[in-house]
Amino acid sequence: MAIPPSMQAAATALAVYEAEGKRASILFFVMGPRTRELARLQIGDALSVTGPLGNGFDCSVPSHDASIVAGGVGIASVWLCAQRLLQRGIRVRLFYGARTAALLVDARRFEQLGCEVIVATDDGSAGMHGFVTAALERAVPPETIYACGPSPMLRAVGAIASRWNVRAQLSLEETFGCGVGGCWGCVVPLDRCSAQAPSFPPAAQGGSDVVFARVCKEGPVFWSDELRW
Amino acid sequence: MVNLQSDLSVAIGKLQLRYPTLMGSGCYGSGEEYAPFADLSKIGAIVLKSVTRLPRLGNATPRLVHTPAGMLNAIGLQNPGIDWYLEHDLHKYASRPCAIVGSVAGFSIDDYANVCGRLAQRDEIAALEINVSCPNVASEGETFGCDPDLTARVVEATRQTTDKTLIVKLSPNVTDITKIARQAENSGADALAVINTVRGMAIDVEAWRPRLGNVTGGLSGPAIRPIAVLAVYEVARAVSIPIIGQGGIENITDALEFFLAGATAISIGTANFTDPRIPERIVEELDAYLLRRGLHSMRDLVGQANVGITTPDQYEGDEG
Repeated sequence: MAIPPSMQAAATALAVYEAEGKRASILFFVMGPRTRELARLQIGDALSVTGPLGNGFDCSVPSHDASIVAGGVGIASVWLCAQRLLQRGIRVRLFYGARTAALLVDARRFEQLGCEVIVATDDGSAGMHGFVTAALERAVPPETIYACGPSPMLRAVGAIASRWNVRAQLSLEETFGCGVGGCWGCVVPLDRCSAQAPSFPPAAQGGSDVVFARVCKEGPVFWSDELRW
Repeated sequence: MVNLQSDLSVAIGKLQLRYPTLMGSGCYGSGEEYAPFADLSKIGAIVLKSVTRLPRLGNATPRLVHTPAGMLNAIGLQNPGIDWYLEHDLHKYASRPCAIVGSVAGFSIDDYANVCGRLAQRDEIAALEINVSCPNVASEGETFGCDPDLTARVVEATRQTTDKTLIVKLSPNVTDITKIARQAENSGADALAVINTVRGMAIDVEAWRPRLGNVTGGLSGPAIRPIAVLAVYEVARAVSIPIIGQGGIENITDALEFFLAGATAISIGTANFTDPRIPERIVEELDAYLLRRGLHSMRDLVGQANVGITTPDQYEGDEG
């Protein structure tokens, strides 16, 4: 979804955190003027929202167990994923990384939901000391991986998944323009044969096998083995 | 939407628009993307993303940087090329409840003529915009629009391929935009789109590198509005063909500035990123404005603030 705050040339892109019936909630950190404005809203204030936009995690992939990797505010994109996987009887292990203990949100709630939660912090103030991907790597490989977080974390998750020969769905973050697929600003290089590739002629002989796909429209979730970043 | 009481229709060459609002090329996709969030029957026209003769992957990422009151972009004319476009994409645009304007970009005079001629043959396309001013492709792109003679040659060559309305989109990144505007008019342009984005850049002070993959980009949004208003104002005095004013229009007041400067229609681009309902709201408020001011049509509004350019000469001899 995209929410337009005042005095900005583009809306703010936010993930739907929880959804039930007609209610949707968002989870965000106050980082700059836009989120500060958002945080000041009172109950009853109106917001102009465009959405929902893009795809989501495909939780229908059959498996017995799955690992979810969330880094920082990436936690805001994985609640529904965890819920749906658990509903399907899939065992879920959440690897949750943050810079420091104070920035960990809802780790206990994920446990109550039924996830096994493994925490890692950059400064060692909670859980394992180090990157969350190091924690993932030390664990037993799951059948599928779902991940949302900063790009370096997602690349690392993709690399681990590829070593394990496990497929991973990565939810990407980009600088967004229109948010609906109109401006081609938030693209990521994707294999031209991917089912998610936009309408584009096949590669010429010796040409690039890559095409740029829109994170806001074809994504934000892509299969790690189809990304060419 | 409330029922409109004023006649908001305008003519851009042969192109008749119910509303004087176009959606800027490269900002609005094919319209399909915005259809769930905006009422396409309440806008004048969609200008499609520019097409080139060959497919273009587009620029490396990042392609966007948010800046104060604006946005830098460097997309690099990503498009599947005219062959694929005509065969696979264009037919989808036939059902739009507003006019569809094709946009042509190129790297040689032949490219422009070829793509323009082939697009113009299609019934889906009501008019053509000739993009001689993309700032984000290596060397050639904007060169055409920054050189009066090259602009003239592109316009002459594309003019020969079609009788449909030709809109030439001008670059603000020139010393004297009126010179290019006159050349385009004399070479057969039916209308001018004023302005494309303003060249700019942003630097990451931790990485010590430009923020855009393309290094430089084009600035859009409210940050460039005064630049665009002046460009429209000056071009309106230099030519007699219609002008489509564009650059940071977000609300009725912004739109009125452009009309009063001399624009027959306006184009809305980046503002759609903030709220897709802005174009519809501007049309409603334009209707209310005409009623309030007792105006009968857009003709009574266009260019009404254009009183000329004040020069220091006018004060000479005035010792008062």
